[in-house]
Amino acid sequence: MQRIKKFFRYDNVGILFVLPALLYMLIFVGYPIVCNFILSFQDVTVRTINSAVKPFIGLDNYVKLFQDSVLKTSIWNTLLFTVLSLVFQFAVGFLLALFFTKKFSFSKPIRGLMMMPWMIPVTITALMFKFMFGSNVGIINQALQALHLITSPIDWLTSPHSAMFALIFTNIWIGIPFNMILLSAGLTLIPKELYESASIDGANKIQTFFSITLPLLRPTIEAVLILGFIYTFKVFDLVYVMTNGGPVNSTQLLSTYSYKLSFSLFKYSEGATAANILFVILFCVSLIYLKLVYRDEEAA
Amino acid sequence: MDGDNNIRGRKNIIYCIVSVLILVVLLFPIYWIVVTSLKTEKEIFQIPPTLFPQVFNTASYAAQLGNGDFNMFRSFGNSFFISICCMLISIVLSVPASYGLARYRFFGRKITTLSFLVTQMLPVSVILTPMFIMFKNMHLINNPLSAILADATIGIPFSILILKNYFASIPKELEEASYIDGCTRFSSFIKILIPIAFPGVVVCGIFSFLYAWGDLAYGMTFIQDQDSRPITAGIFNFMGQYGTKWSYLTAFAVVTIIPVALIFIFMQKYIISGLTSGAVKG
Repeated sequence: MQRIKKFFRYDNVGILFVLPALLYMLIFVGYPIVCNFILSFQDVTVRTINSAVKPFIGLDNYVKLFQDSVLKTSIWNTLLFTVLSLVFQFAVGFLLALFFTKKFSFSKPIRGLMMMPWMIPVTITALMFKFMFGSNVGIINQALQALHLITSPIDWLTSPHSAMFALIFTNIWIGIPFNMILLSAGLTLIPKELYESASIDGANKIQTFFSITLPLLRPTIEAVLILGFIYTFKVFDLVYVMTNGGPVNSTQLLSTYSYKLSFSLFKYSEGATAANILFVILFCVSLIYLKLVYRDEEAA
Repeated sequence: MDGDNNIRGRKNIIYCIVSVLILVVLLFPIYWIVVTSLKTEKEIFQIPPTLFPQVFNTASYAAQLGNGDFNMFRSFGNSFFISICCMLISIVLSVPASYGLARYRFFGRKITTLSFLVTQMLPVSVILTPMFIMFKNMHLINNPLSAILADATIGIPFSILILKNYFASIPKELEEASYIDGCTRFSSFIKILIPIAFPGVVVCGIFSFLYAWGDLAYGMTFIQDQDSRPITAGIFNFMGQYGTKWSYLTAFAVVTIIPVALIFIFMQKYIISGLTSGAVKG
């Protein structure tokens, strides 16, 4: 009796408030993650999906996928896509954040409007850039030809050499506002007195940037980069709509490859296996992020 | 305080002009599809391209009112229904959950918060295949409920983490005062705390709506019947069949952006606060 009473003391009642959401997430996220693991050790295809007994095949799916060159290509492409997107998104976002934290008449309204690329459904962004990267009437080829930078139109999305470039370019466009707004939020937290005393001490702008702005912005920079990595690494819609992994797997990512295995080739188990590889990589990165969040919380 | 660092005079004008130029370059793609959707198919393929339509052609929009291969307005309705339901589910579940996490130090609180944080980072691909099999067994394939249930898994963790900060910032004394006035813990939550945290609830509603509105993967995988598909999946399908019919495609794109743009124009301050507090503090 005492024990039951103790359980229902003030604080533990809180569980009742959290429980509905927690159960929902356990059913629709937790359970599928477990299923996905199990699925990757089974042999489930379109033929066996409705049968009660699903053959257990151990690590065969993993062995099979790692022997397959498309998986290696996908991992490499995913890394390339993520790192290049991240570097440019961050650089441009940072420059814009520095510019827009200056207080001129338009700074706030324009910074707000620049969020638009981030808000638009990715499917629409993909459609937009597919149109602009079009070989014949695409505005990008038209502009480059008018400027005499190229002599004949480039097959941006249909040639294996340039498709990845076009995708990265589009993804940078989506990511710039995200980086900019988070970095501006971080910049406004730096106390102005520091800049004032630095200028009294005779520091120039570059010195101030490297000895005040960068070190104090470090927690924000770390968070932006890691979150950016996670969000970019799992990109699916953009690539699926623009190139669907093609031409000849030159833009195949882990996410699109997993989708292709499951829903075009109906090899559900192999699709789940590819998704699992993606999951494990992202889970490790998430752990780094959590460690940072914890460190900041303890410091605060 | 603020006035001290304001840039004035000629420097201010130069900064304003530069910022407008940056905006024009960045938002050009959006301008370009709006303009293209108002051109005739012939003008779209004209070389050199026109930066402004010679004649306003609304035929691409009007054609959707009839019964074409792809009924844009029905898809729009489907998406709207899915997004509203998803928004309601995430609000109803995440408001009490975030209150519980902010106010009560129960056993397992930290790990629960962390697991919500981690689900935000989960790739769709990981749960897509098992969810498809699960919904197939539940006979929910082609039922909008499947997309609603799946989309809410993105909105809920996001909303909980945002709202947790709102509830944590409300002073405890306020609640204690309401107990003295005869409120129970539950009625004080409903009558006192929710109204104060209302801006946070709006942020969560907006984001849950937008996540569902922008979803492609769930909608196109679980709903294969063209008539019940959300608009993003419908457009994707249309692209596959009539990939070069850009007058229609750009019109679809503009219609899909309209709700986003409206939300954006009227609720900008909520969006920016949601993005910054949700992503950095967690």
